[in-house]
Amino acid sequence: MFRELLGGLRATARAMASRPITIQYPEEQRPVPPRARGRHILHRYDNGLEKCIGCELCAGACPVGCIYVQAAANDPAHPVSPGERYAVRYEINLMRCIYCGYCTEACPTEAITMGPRLDLVDYKRERLIATKDDLLEAWSGFTTMSQGVAPGLGRPASQPTPMGAGSPHSGPAGRAPGLRPVIPAASGDPADTPPA
Amino acid sequence: MTDVARSPELITVIVDGRPVQVPVGTLVWDACEKAGVFVPVYCAHKKLDPVAVCRMCLVEIGTLPKLQPACATVASDGMEVRTRTEKVREFREGNLEFLLLNHPLDCPVCDRGGECDLQDFALRYGPGRTRRAITTKVHFNKAVRLSDKIVLDQERCILCWRCTRYYDEVTGEKELVLQERGVHTVVAPFEGRPLQSMFQGNLPEVCPVGALTHAQYRFRARPWDLRRTPSVCPGCSYGCNLNIDTRETEVVRFASSDKPEVDDGWLCDRGRYGSGDLNRADRVRSPEVRLGGPGRSMAYSEAIEAAATALASVISEHGRERVAVLGTPLMTNEEAFVLQWLAREVIGTPHVDHQLLPWTDLSPAEFSLGIEEIEACDAILVVGEQAEATAPVLTLRLYKAERKSGRRVSRVPGDIEAGEAARRIAGASRVGVISHERDRGLAAQVAAIAVASGASVGRLTITVGVNGRGCKDLGLLPNYRPGYVATAEVGLHGRGILEGCQSGEIRALLAVGPNPAVEAGADLDRACAAVQLLIAITPVRDAFWRHAGVVLPGRTIAEKAGTVTSSEGRVQTVRIAVHPNIAVPSEVGLLAGLGACLGAARPAPTAPAAVLEEIRTAVPSYAATAGGLRAAWGKLR
Amino acid sequence: MADDLVLTRLVGRPGVTTLEGYERVGGYLGLRKAVTLTPEQIIDEVKSSGLRGRGGAGFPTGTKWSFLPRDVFPRYLCVNADESEPGCFKDRYLIDELPHQLLEGVLIAAFTLRVSHAFIYIRGEYRAQRELLDRCVAEAYEAGLAGRGILGTEWDCEVIVHGGAGAYICGEETALIDSLEGLRGQPRLKPPFPAIRGLYGSPTVVNNVETLSNLPFIVLEGGAAYAQRGTAASPGTRVFCVSGHVERPGNYEVPMGTTTFRDLLQKAGGVWKGRALKAMQPGGGSMQILGPQHLDVPLDFKAVADAGSSLGAGALVVMDQTTCLVDVAKRLVDFYHHESCGKCAPCREGTYFESQLMHRLEAGIASESELATLSDICANMDGRCFCPLGDTATWFVMSAYRMFPDEFLAHCGAGRCPVRAARPAAA
Repeated sequence: MFRELLGGLRATARAMASRPITIQYPEEQRPVPPRARGRHILHRYDNGLEKCIGCELCAGACPVGCIYVQAAANDPAHPVSPGERYAVRYEINLMRCIYCGYCTEACPTEAITMGPRLDLVDYKRERLIATKDDLLEAWSGFTTMSQGVAPGLGRPASQPTPMGAGSPHSGPAGRAPGLRPVIPAASGDPADTPPA
Repeated sequence: MTDVARSPELITVIVDGRPVQVPVGTLVWDACEKAGVFVPVYCAHKKLDPVAVCRMCLVEIGTLPKLQPACATVASDGMEVRTRTEKVREFREGNLEFLLLNHPLDCPVCDRGGECDLQDFALRYGPGRTRRAITTKVHFNKAVRLSDKIVLDQERCILCWRCTRYYDEVTGEKELVLQERGVHTVVAPFEGRPLQSMFQGNLPEVCPVGALTHAQYRFRARPWDLRRTPSVCPGCSYGCNLNIDTRETEVVRFASSDKPEVDDGWLCDRGRYGSGDLNRADRVRSPEVRLGGPGRSMAYSEAIEAAATALASVISEHGRERVAVLGTPLMTNEEAFVLQWLAREVIGTPHVDHQLLPWTDLSPAEFSLGIEEIEACDAILVVGEQAEATAPVLTLRLYKAERKSGRRVSRVPGDIEAGEAARRIAGASRVGVISHERDRGLAAQVAAIAVASGASVGRLTITVGVNGRGCKDLGLLPNYRPGYVATAEVGLHGRGILEGCQSGEIRALLAVGPNPAVEAGADLDRACAAVQLLIAITPVRDAFWRHAGVVLPGRTIAEKAGTVTSSEGRVQTVRIAVHPNIAVPSEVGLLAGLGACLGAARPAPTAPAAVLEEIRTAVPSYAATAGGLRAAWGKLR
Repeated sequence: MADDLVLTRLVGRPGVTTLEGYERVGGYLGLRKAVTLTPEQIIDEVKSSGLRGRGGAGFPTGTKWSFLPRDVFPRYLCVNADESEPGCFKDRYLIDELPHQLLEGVLIAAFTLRVSHAFIYIRGEYRAQRELLDRCVAEAYEAGLAGRGILGTEWDCEVIVHGGAGAYICGEETALIDSLEGLRGQPRLKPPFPAIRGLYGSPTVVNNVETLSNLPFIVLEGGAAYAQRGTAASPGTRVFCVSGHVERPGNYEVPMGTTTFRDLLQKAGGVWKGRALKAMQPGGGSMQILGPQHLDVPLDFKAVADAGSSLGAGALVVMDQTTCLVDVAKRLVDFYHHESCGKCAPCREGTYFESQLMHRLEAGIASESELATLSDICANMDGRCFCPLGDTATWFVMSAYRMFPDEFLAHCGAGRCPVRAARPAAA
C-alpha cells in the first residue's frame, strides 16, 4: 500500500517538474502540419493573374454544396485570369464546409488549395461566408509594383487586398458580409401549385 | 424471328437480339431507339436529314463485313443489328480518339461543359486513356462573334454539320457554310457576314458540343446550377413550348422543348432571348397607395382595401358604367376569367377588354386551322406581314410545308385587294389562310372567296400577346361573356376605354399591366394621367404604374402558375419557374381579394387550379382541353 | 501484236487529234453505227464485251448502265476525267492522243442511255487537255456530231467540258456530281446511288475516260472481238501507267489476264540502273504494295486481288531496292491528309493523325508503341470512313508495314532514316 502511495506521489512530482502541455490559445498557437486542411486559399500566377477560371468544378465536386461561383467573361484588355473566363463571385460557406478537400482535387488549374488557418470562429454567421476577397492570395505586386506594370487586375493597384488568405494576420473581423445567393423559401401560397 | 403477327406495313428488326417492330422505311437508329438500345451519334438529328458524317453510330448489321451507319441505313425485315460487339466498341473508342485529337479540351471554360455529347460519349464509350502520341494540334479561332447572339468556337467544333444543315433544311437561310477542307475544315458565316436570322438561338441547341454558344448565356451558369421548368414561351401567342432554366432567383435562359405539333423543337430569337426581360431590376416590389398625397408603401391587404374603398366611392358617386376594366393579353386564362368576373359580377360594368386595338367582330372560323394541319393544306396564304413578324416560328412551319410536303405557300401584303389575294390560292381544294388579328378583315374576305369556289378553308389567326386567344375565349371582351356568349349591353372596347378616360366618361380604371400595345403608348399615357382613379396591377414600371392611385405588384410570366391558350386554341400550362423574392401574391388571389372587398356575392377561388375547374364548367369548349388539347369552337352562341 | 490493241491503236496517226484526221482513220464510224442500233442492242454488245470500269472499282459497265430506272428523264452522263490518283496518267494520255475517240465514246454512251447532257469533268490541273477537248467538242458540234439532231436523227445531246478545281476527292463519282453542281466536292450518302438520283437529282451514269474510249471499238467490231483479248474473267486490254524506278516510264496498253507484271515491267525497260525490284504498287497510290514474289501474277482483277492488292486505276509504281518505304508511305499519307475532304471524322482526323505519326517515324523519333498506334488508327479508318478515300489512305501504309516490318521497326528511335543512311552517296 505504501508502494502504491509512493508511486502516485512520484507521478505527481514528475508532472510538477515537466512543462505543461496546454497552451494559451489564441495568444499562443501550435504550428499547423503542412498538409492540414484549413481555410481555402485562391491562388494567383506569378504575374498576379488569378488562377481561378470560374469553371465551378469545385462547386460541382463539393459534397455539401457550400461553394458558390458566378463566372463572367474576361475583358481582353484587363483580364482577371488567363483565358476567356474568370470568377466574378467566389464564396464558400465555411460553416457548411466539411474541409474534405474535394474542391482542390476538382480544380483544373490548382487555383484553390486548403490553407493552414483553422481559427474559423465568429460571432456572426454572415461573416463565416468567405468571399473572393477573403480567399484570394495577396499579391505583392500591388504594393511593390507600380500601377503601370501590374497587368489589368480586377482591383485597382491603389486598393491592395486587405487581408489575403495567405496573410498570417488576416482574420474575419471588421469586414462587410459578402454577397450571398438568395435561396427563396418554398412558398406556401396555394396559387403556386399549377393546375392539373 | 418472332411469332408476333406482322401487319403489312410493319417489319421486324432484331436489335441486340431483341426483336422490335417498326414501320417500313424506318432508320436503324430509330429502330434501335425503339428497342431501347442507345446508339451514340453526333451528326444525326431528329429534325434533319441523315448525312452519316460523324460515324459515331456505326453498328454491325447482319453479315455485312463493314460497320454501317445506323443513322442513315434503312431497316429491312429480319435485319439483325448488333451494337454491343467488340468491333463496335473498338471503333467507338477509336472514333472518339479521332474526334478529341484536335479538340482543345477546354471543358472547364466551355459553356457546354456538363451537357456536352462529346463529354458524355467520351465518358461512356471512350478509351478512358490518352496515347499522347502526337502533341501538335490544329488550332482555329476561338470565341468568334457570329452576331450579337451567337459565339462560335471553331476549335471545339466536331464538324457534324448540324448547324449548316439546320440553316439549309429548317430555315433555308444558309448563313453558315463549311470552309477549307480536310482537318482544316471550319464552320464559318457565309462570306464573313454577321448572322441575321431570326432563328439563330436554335444553333447552340443543335450543336452537340460547345462550338456554338449563346452570347446571352455566356459563362452565366453551369448545367448543374440550373433548375428546369417546362413552360410556354411568353413571346407571342403561337404557343411554343420551352424550358425555363433558372439559377437561384434568376432566369438565365430559355431552352426549347420539342412539341412537334406546335414548335417542332424550334424557338425564335425574340422569344428565346426575351428571357432577359424577366430579370428586370425595375420590378414593382411593394404595394403603394398614392391617393391624395405622396405614395405610401403598405401591406397587400391594406392596399387592396384602399383600392376597393376608392373604387366603391367612384361607383357610388358616378355609377357602375363609369368604371372600366382593362386586362392584358399577357394574363393567364385563370386571371382573365377572374378579372371578367370582377368586372361583370362585382363591379357590374360592361366596359371590359384585354387589348387596346379597336375591336372588330370575331368569328369562330378564325380559329379553325391547327398549326399541325398547315402541312396538310394544298395551298397556304399568309395575309399581311404581321402574322410572321409576330410569330416567327410560323415561318419555319411554312418552310417545312414547302420543302418537305411540297405545299404552295404564298404571301400577300395586308393592303391587297381580296380578289387579288384569293387568286394566289385558286384551284387548291384545301386552303389555309393565316393572318394576324389586325388583318382578320382581309383574311375573312379571302376565305369567303375560297369557300365560294368550293375549297375547304381553315384559318389561323395570330392574336396579340401570349394569351390573346384565351382572353377572348374567356370573355375579356366588351361584347362577349366567357364562351362567346353575347352580352346584353356592348361596352367600350380598349381604344374606347382610353378615349373615355380622357373625355371623362370613364372615371375609374382597373388595369392589369403591362399591355404590349406599343403603338398606343402616348394615348395610354394620356388616358392614365387623365382618369380620376387608376388601380394598377403590374409587375413593371409602365404607364399604369406611373399614374396609378393604387399600385399592386403583379407577377411576371415566369412567376405564374396557370394556363394560356395559344392562337390555335391549345391550352397549355405555365408553371412557376422562379419564386418572386418579394411576397407577391398571385394575381388571381389579388383579384379575388379585391372582389371580396367590393362585396362580391360569391367569393372567387384563389387557386389557379380551382379557377380552371370553374372555367371548364362555364366554358364548354374548355371542358375537353386537359392535356393540351385544342379548344375547338362550334357555332357562336 | 498491234492487232491486239484497242485504245491506243490509232495513237500517232497524222492529225488524229483533229476531227478530220480522226475520221480519216475510221473515226466516228462507231457512232454512225450506234445510231442505227437500239440502246438495248448496244447495252447487250457492251455486256458481251465484258468491259469493266477502268476508274478503279472495276464494275461491269453494261450492268451499271442497266441500273438506270426506265423512262425517267432527264438523265445525265458524267465523264470522270478527274484523274488524280498518284501514279496515274492514262486518261491524260488518251485525251492528249485521241480526244475524238473519247468524244465518240461519250456520244455512244449518251445515245445508248438517252441522256440530254453529257458532262466531261476534267481535272483542274489538266488545262491543256481541257482546251484540247473544248476544241474537239466545238469541231463535233460543227460537224453535227453533237448538239441538236445528231447525224440527222431526232436525238439531241449537249456535251459540256467542265474543269474541276483540283481536288482528289472529286474523282469519287458522287463528289464529282456535287462539284459539278457547284457544291463543295464531297461524297454523297449512298444509297441513293447516282443511277437513281445523281446530278441535279436525276438518274446519272458516271464513267471513266478509258472505259468510254473503248466504246467505239466495241460498237464497231462487236463485243465478242473485244472479249477475244485478255481472258474470260478480265477481257479486253488496258492502258497501264508505268512509273517510278523504270527505264522507260509511260503508258502501255496490254491485254489483261494474259500479261504478267514481269511482261509489263519488261515493256517499260525493267528496273532502272540495273537495280533489283523492292516493291511495286499495282493500282496507283491507293493500292496495297506487292513485292518481287508477285511479278508473275497476271494483270487480272481476280489474280491481283488474290495477291492482296487491286489493279485500281491501272498505275504501276515501281520502287527499286534503295527506296525507303517509310518515306514513300509518309509521302502518300501526306497526300491523303492534304486531299481528305473533311466530311467524316475518321478520315479527316485519321489522316492527320497518320501523317503526324509517319513524320515522326520517318524522322526516326517515334517509338515502337507508336507503330502499334499507327496500326490501330489504320484499323479504325479502314472500312469505317464515309467513302473509299479514308479506307485507301491506310492500305499502302499497312501493306508496306506487313511486308517490311523490319524496315519500319528500324526507324523507331533511330534518330534518322536508316535506309537513306545506308544508301550509296552516288544515288
